[in-house]
Amino acid sequence: MREYAPHPGVEAIVTDVSTSPVSSPIKVDIWSDVQCPWCYIGKRKFEAGSAAFGGEVDVEYHSFELAPDTPVDFDGSPVDYLSQRKGIPVEQVAQMLANVTGIAASVGLDYDYEHVHQTNTIKAHELLHYAKARGRQLDMKERLLKAYFVDGRHVGRVEDLADLAAEIGLDRDEVVRVLTHETYLADVKADVAQAAAYGIQGVPFFVIDGTYGVSGAQDATTFANVLEQARTEREAVR
Amino acid sequence: MTDAVTTPLTIPLTRVGDPTAAACVGDFCSIPDHHEQAVVNRRLDEDLV
Repeated sequence: MREYAPHPGVEAIVTDVSTSPVSSPIKVDIWSDVQCPWCYIGKRKFEAGSAAFGGEVDVEYHSFELAPDTPVDFDGSPVDYLSQRKGIPVEQVAQMLANVTGIAASVGLDYDYEHVHQTNTIKAHELLHYAKARGRQLDMKERLLKAYFVDGRHVGRVEDLADLAAEIGLDRDEVVRVLTHETYLADVKADVAQAAAYGIQGVPFFVIDGTYGVSGAQDATTFANVLEQARTEREAVR
Repeated sequence: MTDAVTTPLTIPLTRVGDPTAAACVGDFCSIPDHHEQAVVNRRLDEDLV
């Protein structure tokens, strides 16, 4: 039995900030990385919490690089990567990933670590900023996370990223151009700087209405409660 | 003339929620104890243990 199935009504509630109506939805800024297993799990839990909250929410994703020194074409599996970098025995890493896979399944995500391509995510973050400028950031974020954790796709190379962008209807040639020219690199760096200013050390990290900080893949009820708290405080000052 | 620089906001945040919730820090994503137990419980439910 799943604890939190992906909510079919989520898309109607969680909207792209660039396309939201001018009424005052609760703003949620989320710092996240594409190859962060808790970020995808936390995304599902947040979506469930947002659905339970029931009010309008504007979500904006921000860039956070967990391992900026990772090569684009890391030669090895995630087990190799973690065991080499952290000195953890291979068997222990495999068990950890199996446990994360089990937790992901509890929120309806079918992680496939056998086929994950460990890579550098800077270009994926640039793509997310491009998608935001086109009002498609939420779709792009979901596509990138699924591509990495479920579909075994590469999310570090420009051509692969352009393919993924095209799959959600973005202009493939334009994506290749902006990623090649690092058009959105400064936006990625600005997000990283903002994370540091907030004192964010790990992801996912949620900032609710610029006031509340929620770290990690919390239970859905936590997200629902803090969204309700933000709404209550807004109504109190009217 | 110099390039404009976006200054990050330094408004302090009120932290809420479980401080031990699962998160990735650096290139390591730890699994909190309560999650480990949940995995074991599910396997027991599925008769895998």
